[in-house]
Amino acid sequence: MNRMTTKTLALAGAFFAAAGAALAQDNAPLIDLLVQKGIVNDQEAEELKAELVKSFVHNTSAGKLNLGSAVTEFKLSGDLRLRHQEETKQGQGKLTTDEQRRDRFRFRFNGDMLLQKGWGAGFALETGSAADSGNQSFVSGNDDYSIYLARAYVSYRYSKDLIFVGGKFKNPFYTTDMVWDGDINPQGLNENYSLTLGGKSGKDTLEFRAAQIIMADVNESKGGGAAGRDSHQFVQQAVYTTYFGELNASSFVIAPGFMLSTNSVIGTTGNETPFAGNGRYFNIITLPGELNFANIAGEGTSLKTYWDFAYNTTGKDQVYKSYGIASTYKADRTAWLVGIGYNFGSGKQQGDYGVKLDYRELGIGAIDPNISDSDFAFGNLNQKGFKLSASYNVTDFASLNAAYFYTTDKQQTLSHANGSLDHSQILQLDLVVKF
Amino acid sequence: MNKLLAFVAAALVAVSAAQAQKIVIKGSDTLGAKLVPMLAEEYRAQNPGVSFEIAAEGSTTGITAVIDGTAQIGMSSRRAKTTEMSAASAKGVSMKPLIVAYDGMAVIVNENSPIKALTKKQVEQIFTGDITDWSAVGGNPGRISIYTRNTSSGTYSDWKELAMNRRDYASSSQKMAGNEQIAAEVAKNANGIGYVGLAYVSAPGIRVVPVNGAVPTKESVLSKKYPYARPTFFYTNGEATGEAAKFIAFTLSDAGQKIVEKVHFVAIR
Repeated sequence: MNRMTTKTLALAGAFFAAAGAALAQDNAPLIDLLVQKGIVNDQEAEELKAELVKSFVHNTSAGKLNLGSAVTEFKLSGDLRLRHQEETKQGQGKLTTDEQRRDRFRFRFNGDMLLQKGWGAGFALETGSAADSGNQSFVSGNDDYSIYLARAYVSYRYSKDLIFVGGKFKNPFYTTDMVWDGDINPQGLNENYSLTLGGKSGKDTLEFRAAQIIMADVNESKGGGAAGRDSHQFVQQAVYTTYFGELNASSFVIAPGFMLSTNSVIGTTGNETPFAGNGRYFNIITLPGELNFANIAGEGTSLKTYWDFAYNTTGKDQVYKSYGIASTYKADRTAWLVGIGYNFGSGKQQGDYGVKLDYRELGIGAIDPNISDSDFAFGNLNQKGFKLSASYNVTDFASLNAAYFYTTDKQQTLSHANGSLDHSQILQLDLVVKF
Repeated sequence: MNKLLAFVAAALVAVSAAQAQKIVIKGSDTLGAKLVPMLAEEYRAQNPGVSFEIAAEGSTTGITAVIDGTAQIGMSSRRAKTTEMSAASAKGVSMKPLIVAYDGMAVIVNENSPIKALTKKQVEQIFTGDITDWSAVGGNPGRISIYTRNTSSGTYSDWKELAMNRRDYASSSQKMAGNEQIAAEVAKNANGIGYVGLAYVSAPGIRVVPVNGAVPTKESVLSKKYPYARPTFFYTNGEATGEAAKFIAFTLSDAGQKIVEKVHFVAIR
């Protein structure tokens, strides 16, 4: 600073007074103009910029955070969702329909850090202890609510193409909510390798994703058989993405995968849809994908068709051995989904909107009810039906969303806890504010 | 016993004196590959008692080292980010930038490439992946191979700022450890394109492409007519003191700035 002229100091003072520290970072073009006019030289301009940034970090929360020196970037983010839900359901063989209106909220707070030498770490806090839902219903007496640790992970990026993650982390797989509920954060290990293929677009990719997921860590001394074994899920997936069309903005994605489960028993009483079975026979082939046409009705618009398919090669064991369902019923080892969506914008700016409609059928033996969407048919299997959803961004950071689910049973009189719903409807109206 | 104490005290004084003569400099590969080692060599020739520890692993490491107190001087080819200034502030470190030279980041292609000129827009489209074939910018048909610096490099982020409208690099871009590696890869690949500092434009097998009609020269960089010109910095914790201050003064002196020009950077005056 001692190199700076009186004139420069006066200018700096004027900047502080006029613009305020919070706007200090925006003054770079103005300083550059002063350099061009010959009022300050380059060195003085650099010192001035540094002083303004120092003032910014001193006078805002940024300057008061004491971060470890290994942290090169620390991002805080989150969202709050207010939801009104109307729901009806009727069990197989029941004469009455259960109806409920629920007012709920979900709060999520995330911290993601980039550390030096390719390392990273992060956490997420949220309401709701269930793995497949962060919702918290408003209960009586203005009670306060608990916050749970939804994610806690470390990562190591070996190269730009290869990253390892361990702990409880964001779902790394390309999927739909038919197989994986969007709220679930798997726990265990995850590896991702990305290969740039180039192709006509120059940016086509083939990614290999794998995870070794701990579904339950039991005390082996407390029981033999399936109940005394740790429960693991091993998931592998290849994701091929190719781009085409004008500016290569349209895309096609196909992601074949295979999921293996060890035969064991897990306690999921915390889940929205508690698992009811005495073993896990989920060796599932999956094949989600999408075809996305960009700019179909002007810049920023897109039309997407998407699908998912799942086939449980050990579905018979799951249905007859684990669920104990009579062999007169079909094992029904297939689940599938087809959908179409129209978007204006990316959903990140005021005025962006989107509409989606999908139809799906879930066989009783097809997928793992512990991880499938807890909203479609309340997480039940043996269901078919559709989901219609829409969203509108009222600001860049706030949106109004609506979703309607309608389902009916596939096989009647199945009478098992994971597949005994006769029909259901859910209407969800949300206000989501992101920060 | 008194003799022993005197010996120990003398030894401690000698050790501390020796340590005081060591200048630790970390950071930018752009500065640390050639310029700073040559400055250090010349400075050491004039000051035989001084030793240097120089580590050139990217601007981020230099700024972090000043914040951590593990280097007296941090070399950087970019300005410190707000998050870095914040981290420094939290540790009571006052980051002080000092322009030591100017650099022009040259767009280079293989010497056999027919590309004679590019516009700023075309450069942005190439490095972001909007354009993937040379035929789209007047070259022979062939997939463009993009070579960039790695993510800890100040040049990597400076290029995004200056040439890419802050957009992300094309996913197909290949990250190189330094300027020399980029020049070497482009020299081997007829479809290659990359960017290097002025000190590397005369590497064999490559050719500099004018952008918006301008090539990086001393005049175009100083007059800021070349679009990809930038200052390069030494960062210190407040005003440098001791031997580090003397080395900085040498760097800014006529003798130091002659070395700056010798390695094809642009002197500050």
